[in-house]
Amino acid sequence: MDDLRGVTDLDRLIHEPARLLIATILASVVSADFLYLQRETGLTKGNLSAHLSKLEDAGYVKIEKTFKGKLPLTVCKLTPTGKKAVTRYRQQLQDFMNKTA
Amino acid sequence: MQNNLSQVEQRVKQYWFKDGLGELAGGGMILLVGVYFAGQEWLTEGSIGRTLLQSSLALLLVGGAVATRWLVNVMKTRLTYPRTGYVEYQPGVKNTPSRRIFTAGIAISVSALLVFFGRFSGSFNWLPGFTGLVFGAAFILLRARSNGIGRFYVLGTFCVIWGVALSFTNLPMGYSLGLFYGVTGIASMLSGGITLLRYLRDNPFSGETGNG
Repeated sequence: MDDLRGVTDLDRLIHEPARLLIATILASVVSADFLYLQRETGLTKGNLSAHLSKLEDAGYVKIEKTFKGKLPLTVCKLTPTGKKAVTRYRQQLQDFMNKTA
Repeated sequence: MQNNLSQVEQRVKQYWFKDGLGELAGGGMILLVGVYFAGQEWLTEGSIGRTLLQSSLALLLVGGAVATRWLVNVMKTRLTYPRTGYVEYQPGVKNTPSRRIFTAGIAISVSALLVFFGRFSGSFNWLPGFTGLVFGAAFILLRARSNGIGRFYVLGTFCVIWGVALSFTNLPMGYSLGLFYGVTGIASMLSGGITLLRYLRDNPFSGETGNG
């Protein structure tokens, strides 16, 4: 039972479903823009903005306004801290699943 | 849960192929290689045109690869990113210098073996079939299977059948290879074109980038 208590240490900032989806997408790319994240997550602009702000405040995500040609982009990428947090979260979750399977 | 996370990663990989632009530009490049082989056969041996064409292969391959990459980037910036968003992908192991050197080494070794085998057997009729198998394997293993995109199974199977079929014709090697690359290029462009039309229909440009 003690082994299973590790699950209570899960990073709650990432554990929230919308943020987990955002973090998982960003973990598999170098960066993605706001429009891509919005379409993939199905969140509204306001909701996505709020979740991204929380991840940015925690130092997990870096947001930059830039241009690709003449196209304005709001590009989001995981910081090294964010990458570590996602990796740790997935490992903890995998351990829990293995122990309860 | 882990499966769902893997599905998210798979979707991100599939996004690159969603608009068909890679197949359109890549198909154009393959078509050019086909024109190169057919042109070489068509031009008289020893003519200036044929010598020029023969010496331009490296330029065609390197220049074509650079031009294709540039064209795909420009088209994606104009068509894809404003509609469904921008993604910068991880370079991955396939782009490391050691991997490139290894791949080039394999390609040179296989080419040398093919020439040796062709001279030894006295015929190159099997070459389109072999090329078809290589293209088919590349489409099926590197595109269809690893990214989970069904249309590449069709393209890969087509390459194998088309290449093997050409091996049974008695066409001169330049024409059979030209036909293989030419028709494969057109097939790839067709697949890319249909995918692009569907993509544009399903994702009309709203005029708002959503990146405000």
